[in-house]
Amino acid sequence: MRSFQRNFSVSPSCPLLPLQLPSPMETHVWFVLPDEFKSVSLLNQYMELLSPCEKENVLTMRGDQLQKRALLARALVRTTIARYQINNHVVDPRSLKFRKNIHGKPELVWKSDDGQCPSPLHFNISHTSSLIACGVTVNSPIGIDVEEKQRKIKNNILAFARRYFSLYEVEHLSMISDSEVQRQEFVKLWTLKEAYVKALGRGFSAAPFKTFTIRVKDATNSGASEVAVESSDHPESLTNNWQFGLFELASSHYASICMEKDKTSDVAMRVPMRLTVRKTIPFVEDICISGTDAVVPIAGLIKQV
Amino acid sequence: MAAVSASCLRFQPLFSQSNKSSQAAASLKPLSVGWAKNTGFPSLKASRFRVSCAAKPETVDKVIEIVRKQLALTPETELTNESKFAALGADSLDTVEIVMALEEEFDINVEEESSQNITTVREAADMIDKLVQEKAGGGS
Repeated sequence: MRSFQRNFSVSPSCPLLPLQLPSPMETHVWFVLPDEFKSVSLLNQYMELLSPCEKENVLTMRGDQLQKRALLARALVRTTIARYQINNHVVDPRSLKFRKNIHGKPELVWKSDDGQCPSPLHFNISHTSSLIACGVTVNSPIGIDVEEKQRKIKNNILAFARRYFSLYEVEHLSMISDSEVQRQEFVKLWTLKEAYVKALGRGFSAAPFKTFTIRVKDATNSGASEVAVESSDHPESLTNNWQFGLFELASSHYASICMEKDKTSDVAMRVPMRLTVRKTIPFVEDICISGTDAVVPIAGLIKQV
Repeated sequence: MAAVSASCLRFQPLFSQSNKSSQAAASLKPLSVGWAKNTGFPSLKASRFRVSCAAKPETVDKVIEIVRKQLALTPETELTNESKFAALGADSLDTVEIVMALEEEFDINVEEESSQNITTVREAADMIDKLVQEKAGGGS
């Protein structure tokens, strides 16, 4: 088994330790804050993890900041997936292979003994200029979307909603009189809708936002509001098998996660989405922030572990 | 003869389509470029002609102006026909906002299915010119 520690000029203070895979209905979220990455040698180490194609893509980005962001995104994906010990193999981040599904969603190519079967490990990534997040699940498609809480919409919010959102969602937004609250609700709704289409693996174009409605039902006695999606395009299609979680992350972002409900559990029971959130500087530092005020659930049944 | 769905325009770079329009009938993706709308049968020559007849400079300039504003680019950032939105830092919300701003500016309607195909200044400008032309021609 090859130790990749010797490939670094500075031996990492925090090698990627093997972790247990997420269990059903569990998401592990890892995120980086680009501003925390200033060391050129560390960034060069990350560059060495990328495939030639990924390196090329990084270099097509316009300007240092965008290149750094693109580099961190790929390094985050590779190092995150490499942490999950499968069959007692330590995984070299460099060895991971990716491909895109028919709609362009990246997925892991799973090397199995009998050839190619679908990877049990699913991941999805989202970034803003100040935060890049990667969510990992087992045996469930996942979509994740993060947006800065302060994100300003250039167009008029209601005009935008009327153009792209469903009727119910437009009505919900137009009933909010305070423009700042309305803007915040817009951003939250956008992240939920994006997380859904990313979980579907289809993206915005193939699942137009107008064709489905996200409803956030008010908090019940249990203290958590429920998030549900309905498809207006295909009312007969199963949309009640998707689970959502919306939370505030690092005090600066809204984050939405969408994953498939565990099919083995009783559908009548509300099973929470188990969530673990860690901030990372790969090879340097990992900090678990679940249960702190850096993760504040907003909607959906979330249990932080 | 393929049925062209006017409500689902999928923009493709012109040069890759001129020899494919005969296969369009079997293709799952309706090809809107290269078909002479009024006569209803493929016009290979017209599509080849259109390759050299790129988007109008005024359209390109307007697209660049809108992209600059949406992505808050510094004046030093050079934008050309070939500039890719993603390479300039646009995320999906930026791209949708850009498309909406273009719709309002040019009084056109872009189907969501097409928005994924707008990834560069050129693709946006070409699509705008096409939609504006169709609208002016009273197309369905």
